[in-house]
Amino acid sequence: MFFKDKVLNEEDLKLKIGFFHLSSCSGCQVAFLDMFEKIVEFLDTVELVYSNMLTRKREIPFLDVAFVEGALCVEENYHLRLIKEINEKSKLIVSVGACASFGGVRRLSCGNQMPQPQHNSFIPLTEIELIKNKLKYAIPGCPPNPSLLENFLLALLELDYDFLQPFEFIASSNDASGFNLISEVVNKGFCVGCGTCETACPTRAISFSQSCGKPNFTPSTCVHCGSCLAACPQSFKPYPQPTY
Amino acid sequence: MLRLDESFLLGKYKKAFKTVSKEGTPIETLFNLMFRENLIDGLLTYSKEKGKVVPKLILREGEFLQPQVPFGFGLNSLLKKAIQKYRLSKLAVFGTSCVLDGLNKTQYYGIGCNWVKTAVALKVGQLCLGNITEEGIRALLLHLKGRGEKLKRAFIEERELIFQTDKGKLKIPMEVLHKYILSACRYCLNLSSRGSDITYVQKERENEGLFIIRSERGWYTVAKLQKRAPGELKLKGAGQEEVDSLVSLLREKILLNIDSIIDRVEIGLPVPKWSGNKLRKFYRLWNSIETSDFEEEVF
Ligand code: SF4
Ligand code: SF4
Ligand code: SF4
Ligand code: SF4
Repeated sequence: MFFKDKVLNEEDLKLKIGFFHLSSCSGCQVAFLDMFEKIVEFLDTVELVYSNMLTRKREIPFLDVAFVEGALCVEENYHLRLIKEINEKSKLIVSVGACASFGGVRRLSCGNQMPQPQHNSFIPLTEIELIKNKLKYAIPGCPPNPSLLENFLLALLELDYDFLQPFEFIASSNDASGFNLISEVVNKGFCVGCGTCETACPTRAISFSQSCGKPNFTPSTCVHCGSCLAACPQSFKPYPQPTY
Repeated sequence: MLRLDESFLLGKYKKAFKTVSKEGTPIETLFNLMFRENLIDGLLTYSKEKGKVVPKLILREGEFLQPQVPFGFGLNSLLKKAIQKYRLSKLAVFGTSCVLDGLNKTQYYGIGCNWVKTAVALKVGQLCLGNITEEGIRALLLHLKGRGEKLKRAFIEERELIFQTDKGKLKIPMEVLHKYILSACRYCLNLSSRGSDITYVQKERENEGLFIIRSERGWYTVAKLQKRAPGELKLKGAGQEEVDSLVSLLREKILLNIDSIIDRVEIGLPVPKWSGNKLRKFYRLWNSIETSDFEEEVF
């Protein structure tokens, strides 16, 4: 992995990270910056080299990990240039949040926003062939919790593959919505009725039905963020379990 | 190798105690004392409201009334409210192993609810033979008695799950219970809440229960409360007989669950919790034994 190469071959051991903004509300970047408050203890191992909100640099430097929020607007030349540059200059790309990972609210857009009168189209990063080799991890959430971003960054620094593995899996799934929770967990007979999905849902698209002991899903309010499926204890389980 | 012995069914624990409370149930007393001693600032658990068992966030001593019917759903749906809205930082959780599983995942990854990792002060697991909806309870009682009865309490006594209804006491055969519980509960292999700080088992008398203390944190908590209020919660080491009878009830239920898991494997459905490898090994084992060997503990 790139980080191992870095440790072996480079003098500057600081992990250079950047945060990039495509078509999005910037909520993910705010969550990312929120997380920075908590990571003071490992700030000496990480350097934020690019962020349109925090750093003054306009030119994108070479970096180790590019965290990208937002979907790619195909009609926007700036986006096309940016994604090529990120691909060229970074060693690893992480899509942060629903817009970048699954399309999120952008999926629901039918365009017509001012100042662009044409119908724009928005494509999540996980579907862009150009960056397929570099985009290794996708983080669900709208926005992801700062605590998740902190744990993710720590796992990246510590090469904790157990932790990272599900995010690698999520990067190869094109969609994650409440429908997937229903089809992957509830309809397969795995739902234990714990209610974690309701707590994870940012839009209350999941509500808990006490009478059937399972979640109810309202598709019209789902923003395709993937949190419910990722948080459900019955979806994936490489986290510490009681020993048998 | 997987064995259906005490260490698999009950998991690791420090000591099991028969617990008697002066007032209320032992688990009510435990949390009330914890509130009084400032060991917790909130309790996430089920409570009875308007005759229904619902998830509830308890914020003060004396508010928690343990539902005598130990079935409920959706406990973790209040997690965000507890931690992000009320900003509780010493939360206790009392629920089944699957609820604690959801909590563990939220703590480990940080998905679902922000900063849960450091906000939980105690996890008390409930020994659970399967979760069942109100309708399921009605159907189960109809199956066993041929008429509608109202479930008042449920407890475990001498190798049996007992339902106390408005018409009397009733032993619940595990294979009948297995039909009416939630489908996911048929595949559950952690009925005794391994991984919690303390596992709680309700006994027949309302003020009697079993505390199976597992972690340092559970041990320290109970010891501290014992010191502060020795008369309110009396603990006496549980004998091996008590533990054996619990293990035998769990074994009976787990065998049914394993059977249901194998049914899934046989028709090629995905299986929960187990990694493919672990299950394949287990499946081979299962096939290599005779049904008559069950009693001999061949696992
Ligand atoms: S995922 Fe949500 S919070 Fe993040 S940029 Fe998109 S809309 Fe905003
Ligand atoms: S149901 Fe809620 S948590 Fe699940 S994908 Fe939709 S918005 Fe996200
Ligand atoms: S988180 Fe998963 S297991 Fe829990 S209620 Fe939701 S779907 Fe069911
Ligand atoms: S049997 Fe298992 S899955 Fe079902 S409620 Fe009990 S602990 Fe949860």
